[in-house]
Amino acid sequence: MKDKQHFIEDVAQIAQQRVEAGTLSRRSFNQLLMVIAAAAGMGPLRKAFADSGSVVVANWGGDAVPAFEKSFQAFNAAGMKLQVDGSGPTEGAVKTQVNSGAVRWDVCDGEMYSSYRLGKEGVLTPIDYSVVDKSLIGYGDVHEFGLANYSYSYVMGYDAKKFGKNPPKSWADFWDVKKYPGKRTLYKWMSANLECALLADGVTPDKLYPLDVDRALRKIEELMPHIVTHWSTGAECQQLLRDGEVSMAQMWHTRAQLVKQDTGGAIDWGFDNAIVAPSVWMVPKNNPAGAANAMKFIAFALRPETQAKLMEVYNMGPVDSKVNSLLSAELQKINPTAPDNLRKQVQMNNLWYADHYSDTLNRYLALIGG
Amino acid sequence: MRISFHGTLRIYALLILPLPLLIVVGYLLPTAGVLGWSLSLPQPGLQNYATILDTPSIHSVIWRTLRICLLTTAISVAIAYLIAFRWRFASARGRMLIELFVLLPFWLSMLIRAFAWLVLLRNDGLVNQSLLTLGLLDEPLALVRNELGALIGMVHFMVPYAVLPLLSSMGQVDDSLLRASSSLGAGRWETLRNVFFPLTLPGVAAAMATVFVFSLGCFVTPALLGGGKAAMLAESIYIQMFQLSNWGLGAALSIVLMAMVAVCAVVFVKLVGVGRFTGRQA
Amino acid sequence: MNMGRTLSNPATVATEPPQRRPRVNIARWLSMAAMWLAALFLLLPILVIVPLSFGDQRYLSFPDGAWSLRHYLTLLDGAWLSSILQSLGLAVVVGLLSTALSFLFATGIWLEARYRVALTLIVLLPMIVPQVVSAMSIYYLGASVKQLDSLIGVGFGHLMMALPYSLIAMLVAYSRLDSSLYKASRSLGAGLGSTIVQVLMPNVRGGLAGSFFMAFIMSWEEVVVTLFTSGLNVITLPKRIWDGLRYNLDPAIAAVSTLMVLITLVVLLVRMYRHDRNASPGG
Repeated sequence: MKDKQHFIEDVAQIAQQRVEAGTLSRRSFNQLLMVIAAAAGMGPLRKAFADSGSVVVANWGGDAVPAFEKSFQAFNAAGMKLQVDGSGPTEGAVKTQVNSGAVRWDVCDGEMYSSYRLGKEGVLTPIDYSVVDKSLIGYGDVHEFGLANYSYSYVMGYDAKKFGKNPPKSWADFWDVKKYPGKRTLYKWMSANLECALLADGVTPDKLYPLDVDRALRKIEELMPHIVTHWSTGAECQQLLRDGEVSMAQMWHTRAQLVKQDTGGAIDWGFDNAIVAPSVWMVPKNNPAGAANAMKFIAFALRPETQAKLMEVYNMGPVDSKVNSLLSAELQKINPTAPDNLRKQVQMNNLWYADHYSDTLNRYLALIGG
Repeated sequence: MRISFHGTLRIYALLILPLPLLIVVGYLLPTAGVLGWSLSLPQPGLQNYATILDTPSIHSVIWRTLRICLLTTAISVAIAYLIAFRWRFASARGRMLIELFVLLPFWLSMLIRAFAWLVLLRNDGLVNQSLLTLGLLDEPLALVRNELGALIGMVHFMVPYAVLPLLSSMGQVDDSLLRASSSLGAGRWETLRNVFFPLTLPGVAAAMATVFVFSLGCFVTPALLGGGKAAMLAESIYIQMFQLSNWGLGAALSIVLMAMVAVCAVVFVKLVGVGRFTGRQA
Repeated sequence: MNMGRTLSNPATVATEPPQRRPRVNIARWLSMAAMWLAALFLLLPILVIVPLSFGDQRYLSFPDGAWSLRHYLTLLDGAWLSSILQSLGLAVVVGLLSTALSFLFATGIWLEARYRVALTLIVLLPMIVPQVVSAMSIYYLGASVKQLDSLIGVGFGHLMMALPYSLIAMLVAYSRLDSSLYKASRSLGAGLGSTIVQVLMPNVRGGLAGSFFMAFIMSWEEVVVTLFTSGLNVITLPKRIWDGLRYNLDPAIAAVSTLMVLITLVVLLVRMYRHDRNASPGG
């Protein structure tokens, strides 16, 4: 703390002297050099991509970084180091890296529909299924350019104090503001929103796809007066529920579980009528550590013990239904792919999103933008 | 100023050219490449621009962006002018106090500011609660998660940036000029209007330019405080570029945004006249 | 911020524009009141953020009885500390470079007016282009010179984004400068170089300070381009704050903001105290 204050005062002093004398005095110039050296020491001035023998896995940052580091720790033993980059592998980011020739990520934890789209555009390396055992995957898409890495669900988080006696069991309940008064919030980037709307409108799960977008948007419009906002950050949806700004939220089960823990059960959630979806491992073309190492990591991550660890650490569901028996009883309850839970849910069809996400998102945002 | 030819050459080589050269090589060329995608992706041609012309939702985003940004600029610069004016005529101590509250907000990152404004402006937030307790309201005002909230957040962000060039500009106005005007018979308002204000115009222009361009590029604050109802062009560009990787459309929207800047600049310069901003030179 | 200091000489401070009628005081009081309202407006978020920094939960929350220093303690952890230092280091270097470059350019076009508008527009370009586009183009550039996820690469991005703002500050300063200063200096025999350094530079000190300040702040806060060009080795403070937004907002950000505000407060109060001690009557 003291150093920082001293440092800031130096900066202020430097500016002051410069301004008064019109030049930098030698003393401050030297001080500045020391500061630069110190800052430089904190991060190499030279370019540094993953050194050989290191695999960089990209995910969405925050607490997901230590979660990955912990769950995939054992991978370090296989002679290669694991580094987790939380920069967020958006479609645009992956494409930019591959097109510019400077790829920084070996394996990306991305959106499943992105892996279809990017695969079509020739930006991804095909998965080597001779190394990666796809028979381990019980739930989730497996295709040429990507495979499911973990599962998560879009659930209803609700105010248990108000609705605990008669909790909402379907999206029709979510839309029913008379029976369940209060405001709502939905995910801004629209994944699962249309499915929720159609289910609320009475469409049966087997007739859900291809999505009737017009009908879904009409249903969304119906709810709009009661939607406080569309959340785009995890902090938002958790805060809206905790502070009672909404009485029900459409959110990921991982965040819903956290809010439940944070509030000691004042907020609750369940898998009824939830929408379960897989996330994806995809490998950008010309990744720094080479395709072979990327595949080795994916194979490692697919092992049942590793999947169980990820569930333990971060509640990200396994994609192998057999892993459920490895989990404790409490974890089994909140595992999206536990047979009991899977039965209650609707599975998201990512192929539809691969074809229609772009146009539909534009329409959706136009609708909620007013 | 009469400068020898050799002197002129030196001035160009050492002073004038390095910076633009740096920008051209390090910025303009790569950026031209990116913007060029508007004409080449996904197919060569003008389809992206056609899409923009044909999509009403894009039009409403453009109008909303223009409206919010112009409002933000007007309000921020007005508030900033007031603050800078009081600074100009304050004691040395008063100036330091004013500098204090102008400088402190700079350290607050956009995210934490937005969160703070949410806390303040919510229906059960500080502002509404105080107004309700004081009896000035029967019901809470909807101050956030709408365009008003976005505007408040943006103005709060911009005011310090607008104050800085104004401080610089006002500080350069010599008191003797004001005294001269008064001794020639001008009243206080006349002096302010005819002498002081015109002299501060470069600062005002700089403030308006900075705030306007900043607010055009702003999308986080309106997204968090606007409740999704204040979608701005900058956010659309982000969505097209990163979320959807529609680079062609994103680049085309960027050109539209830059065109907005150009149009507003031309209008502004026509209204105010270029002569005021160039230094007085022989 | 040294504007007050440089201009605190008797000739330019403290007097109101000359007034003749006493009822003008109402206008003065009104504008004072309005200014204090504006001050309150500017400071209001800080009043919220300070208590938020003492929350005891893993998410951003008010203390609610239990005040905790946990968010401050996370800042001492190596990752946050290195981010803060990286950001500070970059900001200082970018500030200096940006000020120097814009000073040279502004001086040049003040002396020699041809092509001034076109050249200025070129330099202002990074300000006009949407930041997401800048992020991509700087990435492509960084990729071609193999300077990604490095301090130099990130710093270069910051420099590009900061330069237009530094230039504007310099242009404002130069707009009021009298050309007779230059003529006088040259006619007395001073060369171009010494004229610039000893005559022009001191007279645009306000511009130099403003230029540095703007570039510093631009670099300190820069997020869009940085998010793209950094990753593992360079994690500036804004990047650390913005990573993981999909999941949560780290309350450490409230602690960082409070600390920065506190430090600035202390520095400025010290300045006021020193000024009071040195104050001569009428100064």
